[in-house]
Amino acid sequence: MANQLAALSNEIAAAVAQAARNVVAVHARPRFSSSGVFWRPGVIVTAEHTIRREEEITVTLPDGTNVPATLAGTDPGTDIAVLKIDAANQNPGITTAAPVPGTLALTIGRSEDSGPNATLGIISACSGEWRTWRGGRLDHYIRLDLTLYPGSDGGAVVNTAGETIGIATSALSRIAGLAIPAVTVDRVVDEILARGHVARGYLGVGLQPVELPDHHKGLIVLSLEPAGPAAKSGIMIGDIVVQLGGKAVQDTDDIQRALEGHAVGQSVPVDILRGGESRQIAVTIAERPRSN
Amino acid sequence: MRGFGDIAERLRRSTVQIFNGTTDGPTNKDARSQGSGIVWNAGGLILTNAHVARTPEAQIELWDGRRVHARVASRDPRRDLATLRIVANDGALEPATPGDSTSLRPGELVIAVGNPLGFAGALSTGVVHSIGALPGMGGQSWIRADVRLAPGNSGGPLANAEGRVIGINTAIVNGLGVAVPSHTALDFLRRGAAPSLGVVLRPVDLGLLLVEVDQAGAAANASLLPGDILLTRYDALTTALDSGRPTLRLHFLRGDRTRVREAVVRLTDAVEAAA
Repeated sequence: MANQLAALSNEIAAAVAQAARNVVAVHARPRFSSSGVFWRPGVIVTAEHTIRREEEITVTLPDGTNVPATLAGTDPGTDIAVLKIDAANQNPGITTAAPVPGTLALTIGRSEDSGPNATLGIISACSGEWRTWRGGRLDHYIRLDLTLYPGSDGGAVVNTAGETIGIATSALSRIAGLAIPAVTVDRVVDEILARGHVARGYLGVGLQPVELPDHHKGLIVLSLEPAGPAAKSGIMIGDIVVQLGGKAVQDTDDIQRALEGHAVGQSVPVDILRGGESRQIAVTIAERPRSN
Repeated sequence: MRGFGDIAERLRRSTVQIFNGTTDGPTNKDARSQGSGIVWNAGGLILTNAHVARTPEAQIELWDGRRVHARVASRDPRRDLATLRIVANDGALEPATPGDSTSLRPGELVIAVGNPLGFAGALSTGVVHSIGALPGMGGQSWIRADVRLAPGNSGGPLANAEGRVIGINTAIVNGLGVAVPSHTALDFLRRGAAPSLGVVLRPVDLGLLLVEVDQAGAAANASLLPGDILLTRYDALTTALDSGRPTLRLHFLRGDRTRVREAVVRLTDAVEAAA
């Protein structure tokens, strides 16, 4: 009945009001502001692609005041940027585990002119680990069936109880907005606060999956960064990588996953086939050079 | 839960289509639907947008298909509101129930009924996106709603989950529906149109360019002409218009722009209270 509809309407509005207490407007690009979420006291998370300048960034707090913010670091791979402000009296909201498809979801943003804003839709898909086209790893792929307006990016994706599912971004998929899962945000925020960025392991090789005569699979080295870690260790073009750090590798995803497990600077054994003979070469993993 | 269906059915009966011009019939090119309107009371008062009610007289099609003649009673171009009067017989009108837009919160469910692209009685649902000022649209408050609207929704109702009208759908900005809050509409109905220059403005580098000047408006009476550039900003102008002063001193440029000219505009009192 209409009463139930009114009750749902009230519940959603209450969830918006609760979540909006942790949502700020971020002014770091021309024309449109974006949104950000208090993740820890004094720490705000937003979508990296909405940060177009590194200085003179300000945020509009829930009470309407504008304060300067410093950029603590970014991770373009997961589209996460971390800002710090002096006001530390802000308590972050409650996060929730990955939702099931069909869950009602809201994006909560903020603008300087009109305060908090909301859009409503559902979680249209939710699955396991997913690698973004920018090379980052999300712990879950959470697709949103709702409209993301220009100012919504970086805002909170919440359920109707006001619990945070993740951070809204329109930059990681062409077909839909995604929520960067809360667990991924936790992980990336830890790394950024510790180091200023997320270090990704790097071998300096171009690889192509190939099938071996014994029906096993490997990756053939097609190109080699001249001064890269692999070249320095003696890996040559034409070598076929079959194991990395003692684990069989069949495609480039396996390589990227193996590199994430080993800290930068660590030496790992790489098992290769060269001229039909197997060899093991120790490679010291370097840090992926960061673009821009 | 029967949900939106009940509410939509009631709202449809309070929503009309508005056609400009005095003659009806499919052969008349002017008789295309210009937008929607809301039956505000049983006495025949119709509320709509000023940009929908452009001509002094109009045709109105009620929810049951009846067409009646209407006369524009009052227009407020700045708040984009207008009222029309129709002759209602034997209580055949089903007026809408107004809601309280001052207590509206982001996230509340909303429902819009209108005649988008000529499709009568179409329904869209969503939530309130935000409430507040819009850059470049004066200091007044607007409701922005995450609902899919189209031309023809203009002037139609935006209602809450109880079916009460909390806004008048007016525009689409960056994909969001923009509505005049019902408390603004009630103020217009009670006190009449806000003082207006009777011009169409476009912001330019130097100030505000007069694109059109209404021959019966305050600006025309002060000898302002299309092409003049007012040396002010929109927000400052609206503040001055709302200040309650009977006259307004305006500086402007004309022609070769070498000399700053001055005009004193006498603002007409809000005499035409509509209800």
